Amino acid sequence: MTQTAGLYIHIPFCERKCGYCDFYSITHLELVDAFVDALIQEIQLRGRWGADYRFQTVFLGGGTPSLLLPEQLHRILGGLREQFPILRDAEITIEANPGTLSREKLRAFRQLGINRLSLGAQSLHAAELRFLGRRHTAEEVMHNVSLAREAGFENINLDLMTAFPGQTLDSFRHTLEQAVQLHPAHLSCYTLIFEPGTPFYHRMKTGELPPVPEEKEVQFYQEARRFLEERGYRQYEISNFARDKAYICRHNCIYWNYHPYLGLGPSAHSFDGKQRWANIRSVSSYIQHLKAGRLPVDFQESLTPEQQMFEYIYLHLRLRNGLDLAAFRQRFGMDLTSRYRGTIHRLLSEGLIEPPNGHLKLTDKGWLLADTIATYF
Amino acid sequence: MDIKNIRNFCIIAHIDHGKSTLADRLLEFTGALHQRKLQEQILDSMDLERERGITIKAHAVRMEYRSSDGNQYLFNLIDTPGHVDFTYEVSRSLAAAEGALLLVDAAQGVEAQTISNLYQAIENDLVIIPVINKIDLPNAQIEAVKHQILELIGCPEEEILLVSAKTGEGVNRVVQAILEKIPPPQGNPGAPLQALIFDSSFDVYRGVVALIRVFNGEIQVGDKIRFLATGREFEVEEVGTLLLKRIPTKRLTTGEVGYLICGAKNVRDIRVGDTVTHALRPAAEPLPGYRQVKPMVFAGIYPVDSQDFEDLRNALERLALNDSSLYFEPETSSALGFGFRCGFLGLLHMEIVQERLEREFGQSIIVTTPNVVYKIITTDGEELYIDNPVKMPSPVKIARFEEPYIDAHIITPPEYIGNIMKLASEKRGILQNTTYLDPTRADLHYHFPLSEVIFDFFDRLKSVSRGYASLDYEFAGYRASELVKLDILINGEILDALSTIVHKDRAYDYGRKLCRKLRRLIPRQLFEVVIQAAIGSRILARETVKALRKNVLAKCYGGDVTRKRKLLEKQKEGKKRMKQVGRVEIPQEAFLAVLSADD
Repeated sequence: MTQTAGLYIHIPFCERKCGYCDFYSITHLELVDAFVDALIQEIQLRGRWGADYRFQTVFLGGGTPSLLLPEQLHRILGGLREQFPILRDAEITIEANPGTLSREKLRAFRQLGINRLSLGAQSLHAAELRFLGRRHTAEEVMHNVSLAREAGFENINLDLMTAFPGQTLDSFRHTLEQAVQLHPAHLSCYTLIFEPGTPFYHRMKTGELPPVPEEKEVQFYQEARRFLEERGYRQYEISNFARDKAYICRHNCIYWNYHPYLGLGPSAHSFDGKQRWANIRSVSSYIQHLKAGRLPVDFQESLTPEQQMFEYIYLHLRLRNGLDLAAFRQRFGMDLTSRYRGTIHRLLSEGLIEPPNGHLKLTDKGWLLADTIATYF
Repeated sequence: MDIKNIRNFCIIAHIDHGKSTLADRLLEFTGALHQRKLQEQILDSMDLERERGITIKAHAVRMEYRSSDGNQYLFNLIDTPGHVDFTYEVSRSLAAAEGALLLVDAAQGVEAQTISNLYQAIENDLVIIPVINKIDLPNAQIEAVKHQILELIGCPEEEILLVSAKTGEGVNRVVQAILEKIPPPQGNPGAPLQALIFDSSFDVYRGVVALIRVFNGEIQVGDKIRFLATGREFEVEEVGTLLLKRIPTKRLTTGEVGYLICGAKNVRDIRVGDTVTHALRPAAEPLPGYRQVKPMVFAGIYPVDSQDFEDLRNALERLALNDSSLYFEPETSSALGFGFRCGFLGLLHMEIVQERLEREFGQSIIVTTPNVVYKIITTDGEELYIDNPVKMPSPVKIARFEEPYIDAHIITPPEYIGNIMKLASEKRGILQNTTYLDPTRADLHYHFPLSEVIFDFFDRLKSVSRGYASLDYEFAGYRASELVKLDILINGEILDALSTIVHKDRAYDYGRKLCRKLRRLIPRQLFEVVIQAAIGSRILARETVKALRKNVLAKCYGGDVTRKRKLLEKQKEGKKRMKQVGRVEIPQEAFLAVLSADD
């Protein structure tokens, strides 16, 4: 039986680190060549893994994958196509920082079969971009979007950030307006998270960066929803909006729909439905392991049926379409609404879920409390 | 063994002054155990005891010693519990001995607990052998401690022994002193049997095992015996001596210490302090000093999940097999459902029971705020003893309120007297007098309401005196007091498990602090939670826990799923330990908030 699956490739390099980001990346660009060799080696070692799957998506994330030369990306994508059954119409995404793109580069991406571009815009205000430690300008974002269009990219995403210190509702509205004028296919709006280990986290702990009060966060969040929905962007997940069904990010839906995925590269996570594992979070160890012909796996867990069920529930509840009760029954052999009768009743009476009707869905109020709701299951 | 060659003794010492280490050294010195077999600190055998460094149950150990003159001696070391909750048990252990080692830490000096036990020993006519321990410590103040001891017992200075139980230095002189100074037991082996029970514990295979000291007569296997206080009769199944484990013997005779097994299945049949005699030839009189131990502190213990009520009952029953001073009976709370009202000797005893229920029996429990037993004289002249604030009659029916008082001694270096007096007045203490043991130690004699002392008094005392002050107390009867019942309302409903009885003048302040504390302890919920403190219908304080508006992680991709699940699993675990009261989830700590409402 074939099954939907996704491929994630982690490219752990950045020109410089942003203070809020906790994705694994380093700035030693001299290691890129050795990394690409190691990645090719990992692809080959993992070749048999995907035999039963049909890969619908490839996601080149990071880090800043757009730093790689087209030749390097060519080797990587060529290696993937050789080893894994990737569908002809697969969604292939690359993440890029505005300002790192040129007309030539974008054309080369297209020629490699990359059909989705995700730009880390974050804000379209000079001062805010400086605060976030971004090197690009608002103009570069706009310029890059038009270059990408010219190169043939239809499916463009902009990442935006909300509720960071210093941002006002007005400045956020302005960013949203500018972003929408660029007519991207997709928008992600992320509330700033102070991730332990990041410079922002440290500055928050020392009191230098006071976090935005919860009330304010809620306002930003609701403003994003109202604004974007009014302009035809439909929210399909907690932080994600698409202009059309066709532009919903298929790769990220693999995570939320609890489909299997294979992650390659340092710190990348993989999941086969029962087990999850992660690669080592160090470029040099990653290279060493693969030079020695070993898989660079650093963490592995077998999920109990209970854990699978729990993950399945909280991931699906992040989606506007919610959780398909029939699919749940088929996968776990039990009826969710009867097993969690008390919980469902409680959540209904608090107005956090819609009355179950084939699907279990959060209400607008519930969406903001998805994590608390998860703890009731 | 000739009775002349028997020595029965205790060690009186404050926690951490080295009692267990000295006991180990004595065992080693007399050859009762080889060093290799020496598991550190033999006497404290319950895990919990070892962890807390206190001895909860008394034990006894027998040592045979051949002295340099070639005579064979028999030493019985009778251990004593080291906490104020167990004062009565201590007194019975002391009554079983002829002598006591007064063991004082060379760096710490004499503490209140030591003094009170010492006085008990003197009352029991025990010969006291003063020993200063830990003389190897760099901060040992041997001269000062000597001086304190001289003030206390007035012995010739050269009789104070200097010892390091850690290194073994001076232990030989302790053995010599035990042999020379402690008198052998008296008594008549031909007289009717009189044996004192100074400890009883439960063995799952053998039933109750009593530790006894024979004062007159003999006891042997097959004897029909009677316990004078309970009147229960049994047949002796086994007697023996205690050599780290039980060694059966044919009989125990006058002057000896050993154990007794007689088929009793309930520790309540064999009470500490009771006298064993023969059923057919009973002693005319019981040995003096018996009293029935009454719990001083009460609290509700409830299962977190009400379905575990029967499990909890089972666990309490099994605990009570071993702990005759634990009292419990079923009760119901409108907030917490079915549970038990439990009585304890003191707060430490309560904490021990709580920990054992959780650790040994795997129970997930909620312990409500402890209270003392209040006395109410109704308008009809009836006397009521109230062990649960919920049972308090309506205020119009109360003619008079009385609360238990204690007689307390606080021993402290003089520089902390000011702090301590401030604390004491906050706790409604009444100073009786101040005496100086020496220029560096004052003894403050106070009367306190017991309820003020069972909460955080001891910790506060330690903190205002940098750990130097020590406390000892005994019950001193009931006294009139102006008390009121303070209720806590959560979203308008009384949470009965949080009701307390407080002094009228303290109610307002206390209610405010308690509300503030609860606001911090009750996590934000899906709706607003209002916390109020009230006396009757009069609201004294109000706090609000705002509704949770947003709790969702912005990003949740492939690499986040495991981390996120673990986080949520932890939160789920936390929720399991909360009690749902109406719609509100209340963590266990909230039910004990009253204990530390002062911060």
